[in-house]
Amino acid sequence: MILYTPLAKEDIFPSDLSIYAKRQCINFKNKTLYVEKRNDGTYQLLQLLSTDPNDFLNDQFQPGTIIE
Amino acid sequence: MDKYKKEPTYQNKEQEEQTEPDQNNASSLVEKIQQLGQTNVVQAPDTNVHVLSIVGQVEGHIQLPPQNKTTKYEHILPQLIAIEQNPKIEGLVVLLNTVGGDVEAGLALSEMIASMSKPTVSIVLGGGHSIGVPIAVSTNYSFIVPTATMTIHPIRLTGMVIGVPQTFEYLEKMQERVIQFVVGHSNIKEELFKELMFAKGNLTRDIGTNVVGTDAVNYGLIDGVGGVKDAMVKVNELINLAKENETGAIQ
Repeated sequence: MILYTPLAKEDIFPSDLSIYAKRQCINFKNKTLYVEKRNDGTYQLLQLLSTDPNDFLNDQFQPGTIIE
Repeated sequence: MDKYKKEPTYQNKEQEEQTEPDQNNASSLVEKIQQLGQTNVVQAPDTNVHVLSIVGQVEGHIQLPPQNKTTKYEHILPQLIAIEQNPKIEGLVVLLNTVGGDVEAGLALSEMIASMSKPTVSIVLGGGHSIGVPIAVSTNYSFIVPTATMTIHPIRLTGMVIGVPQTFEYLEKMQERVIQFVVGHSNIKEELFKELMFAKGNLTRDIGTNVVGTDAVNYGLIDGVGGVKDAMVKVNELINLAKENETGAIQ
């Protein structure tokens, strides 16, 4: 099959929805974090949602940090 | 992380942290090296200027596939309210590196930033394309780094369209709103902005213009060429000005 279309790949082949299910926003130590659930039940921090630049210097909220 | 599973109660967890601090430190150290390539991050005192980064695509009504890097407007809007309400925060710097995205989400962000009482400054880094343009000009003062570009082009729509003439009219009105916002919040003339938006020959097989750093300033779209230092100087200047006005009003 050859596709010739201006549509995005995802519009034709829907991406795996299970990856959405793994990702969620949680509240941790009064900060909103965007996390991905790992197979062992812990969460890995994907993104810190904050406007305070000092939060980004906080060791606890560095990207990739594993929570709980 | 497996050790937490074996000892699920909270007390045990605390105990473990107390009794095995070296082990915890060691694992967090390894984690840090893996993620950041370094062991410690600088610490600083409280800041009166907050930072809002709008990166990747501006995500609005439709959730984008997970491989897209997006800024979700539902995350940003409450943060803007929080900044407006917090008396300790005196100014806001908006960092922009966006390819554009949902028009209504972008306009919502722009209007929110434009209607804030606190001094706001934006820096366009890398790119501030399409709907990034109104967001960039929505602040009190806007900066662009010399290497950044901004693509100005007509509004597009992907996906299925029901009722073509109606949708066309709706899109045209939406485009007019974007133009009015940009003209109203920057020094660019409406004719010039429209000319850039519908220019032929600048983009390969497309209409529009890709405006580079200094040109954006020359057109009056952005207020100045500059980076972090200039933005911080400007935001502090605006904060001081706001303070002066406040004390003047009281007296």
